[in-house]
Amino acid sequence: MLASLEVAMFYSLVVATTLCMLLYMIWLGSKNEFIGRLATFFTIIALIADTFAIILRMITSGHPPLSNGYEFLLTFVGGILAVYLFAEFRYKLRSLGAFVMPIPCLLLMFIIMSMGPEERIAQAVPPALKSQWLTFHVITAMFAYGAFAVSFGLGIMYLLKLSKEGNGEKLSQGIVSRFPSLEVLDELAYKVVGFAFPLLTLCIITGAIWANYAWGTYWSWDPKETWSLITWIIYAGYLHARLMYGWKGKRAAWMAVFGFAAVLFTFFGVNYFLPGLHSYAQ
Amino acid sequence: MNENSKGIIDRLWGAFSSMKLGLTLLGIIAFVAGIGTVIPQEAMDQGKAQAVGGLWKTLGFTHLYSSLWFRLLLGLLCINLIVCSTKRLRSIYLRTFKLTPPSKLAQVPQKNKQVVKGELASLRESVQEFLRQKGFRVTLSDQSNPWSFIATKRRLGNWGSLITHLSFVVLVVGALLGSLLGFKGSFTEEAGKTLPIQAIQLSKGTVSETFSVSINSAEDRFLPNGERDNWYTDMSILENGQEVARDTLSVNHPFEYKGITFYQANFSNGARFTADMGGQKNPVVLQDQGQSYYKAPGTDLYLVANLSGSSSLKPSVLYQVYKGTGADPIQTGQLTSGQTIDVQGKYKLTFDSLAGFTGIQVKKDPGVAVIWLGCGLLLGGLLLAFYWQPLVISGILQSEKGKRGSLTVGVLSGKMPDSTRKALEQFVSSVTKMIS
Ligand code: HEM
Repeated sequence: MLASLEVAMFYSLVVATTLCMLLYMIWLGSKNEFIGRLATFFTIIALIADTFAIILRMITSGHPPLSNGYEFLLTFVGGILAVYLFAEFRYKLRSLGAFVMPIPCLLLMFIIMSMGPEERIAQAVPPALKSQWLTFHVITAMFAYGAFAVSFGLGIMYLLKLSKEGNGEKLSQGIVSRFPSLEVLDELAYKVVGFAFPLLTLCIITGAIWANYAWGTYWSWDPKETWSLITWIIYAGYLHARLMYGWKGKRAAWMAVFGFAAVLFTFFGVNYFLPGLHSYAQ
Repeated sequence: MNENSKGIIDRLWGAFSSMKLGLTLLGIIAFVAGIGTVIPQEAMDQGKAQAVGGLWKTLGFTHLYSSLWFRLLLGLLCINLIVCSTKRLRSIYLRTFKLTPPSKLAQVPQKNKQVVKGELASLRESVQEFLRQKGFRVTLSDQSNPWSFIATKRRLGNWGSLITHLSFVVLVVGALLGSLLGFKGSFTEEAGKTLPIQAIQLSKGTVSETFSVSINSAEDRFLPNGERDNWYTDMSILENGQEVARDTLSVNHPFEYKGITFYQANFSNGARFTADMGGQKNPVVLQDQGQSYYKAPGTDLYLVANLSGSSSLKPSVLYQVYKGTGADPIQTGQLTSGQTIDVQGKYKLTFDSLAGFTGIQVKKDPGVAVIWLGCGLLLGGLLLAFYWQPLVISGILQSEKGKRGSLTVGVLSGKMPDSTRKALEQFVSSVTKMIS
């Protein structure tokens, strides 16, 4: 009963995410206020469905959603939706939706295409995963990764606007004219990375605390750990280059895009291409 | 000679105080660490690591993270961070504690400034009133003409990046302490056994402690729904035969004694038998999956056990008897508890009960506390750097004619020009409102 409700929530999430992505894109082209509101509405529905799917999963399985790739992808999608909605309301920035929403949409498509029902069901967690620290680890990862996805969207918007506007002439027509100014996009991306970077640090630290309880080793250079460190160094590079060499604008936007590629590799690449401790999390 | 060496030191100092070097080092470390996830590492997969080409092995790529040159990279980064931090210490101190009000117009930040005109006395009062309300720390100029001020908020945020950088050094020191002074080992033991700590299998370091470990019980526990709950080991520490500490450990719930930590790492099942050879009874304990065997004295019969079909409610064991080096068993069968069989006419075998072998990791790492300190500093530093950004407003009041004058105020633009501009606008609009 609860399990089938959870499946229903999952498909509502898929439908709502796809709809809001399409609506954000139509809104960008049409400037119709009603469509814009509808897009935001469906994003909220998607977040609610995702939250319920996760809560139901936790009730039926009796542990945090981290026993397999399906559960972790659901939390990742939840993180993106939550950080995105916050950014939209806080900065009145609806045009961002068209660039962020394709990410959760693709993640959900990945679940549907590549994971059979048997891969999605809750699995028994091995004793090593029974730790409170792991819950913190997953929550911080969820928001950090969600925020990096949003900074990726902002980076793409910046690059698009820059290539359309060329050398500073402002356009009054077309899609990019609805974007905020280049300067605002740039500073916002910095703020979002500045929010995510301490969280990523906390994620790595809670992971180390947990590993120390479970195995007596806070850091074992397993591929997932190493790649999260690489991601961390890339974003540290972003912050430094920006501060000290004034790498704003174009180069900063590229680094935000590149950093998110490292996030995705940490998430997927490591699970599918490299062996290690975290591979049981699939 | 003296001048020459000073030149070298200066040049080294200069090189290590550059952030370009730091970022280059960080980039190299990231790149090399990435390579280490592709080339098999000895610590993870010894077999594959051995198959890697000779050159890579010689260069240390199969034990990359413990290789000398990788540590050298980390060491260089530390020196770099220390030099950079030392150089910045003074200016951070001055920026935090020794702000001086501007004495001429040019000292007000030029990029971000505005002018408010009004009556001198009410301008002065409104500025002070506003700054007090908003919780600024205000320093006024000594002289009253021109009257000037500098005000700051969240000034400790200046220390954020310094703390962050030094925490990195603390982390490396912690890791070094662990690898120099610690050890790492493991043992697999059955309930009822006692072993000296010096007898464990070591993979790193040496053990100088002399106490013994006694396993009181070892259990593989299941939940009512059939899922595994956890593995539990009830363990005592004996000093000179006397119990001095006792605890039950399970995965994620380690137990520490005198700086040595015991971790429940794994568990394997086994079975307890009695072998009766012409009236002489010998206890026999075998681990699951043929990880151990019993060779009855005076025979060439080897007995192994397999517990795959067993449950704690209905214990049973599959046994196999091999003769000499023969590849196929000459006798197999299943026993439930209490059952006795005859093995090739040589001895009688009785299955008594199941036995648990607990796998314990043992670790001593005096650097762990330093690591947690480093983590705390890192996080605290980052929070200061990103969520506690200092705001500095300064202004100077110049009289024009009579009682009127103009106040020029500016803010340091910092890392977020947009937000600081807003802070300045808020200041100006509030002061304007207050004087009118
Ligand atoms: C050895 C290499 C490094 C050098 C030379 C270096 C140097 C610097 C310098 C000069 C600043 C500007 C500080 C300021 O304006 O107050 C800075 C900022 C910063 N650095 Fe580093 N750094 C290095 C490595 C690191 C590492 C490994 C981290 C790890 C997180 C880090 C994190 C930061 C942070 C968070 C800031 C402040 C950024 C901000 O406030 O936006 N740095 N660094």
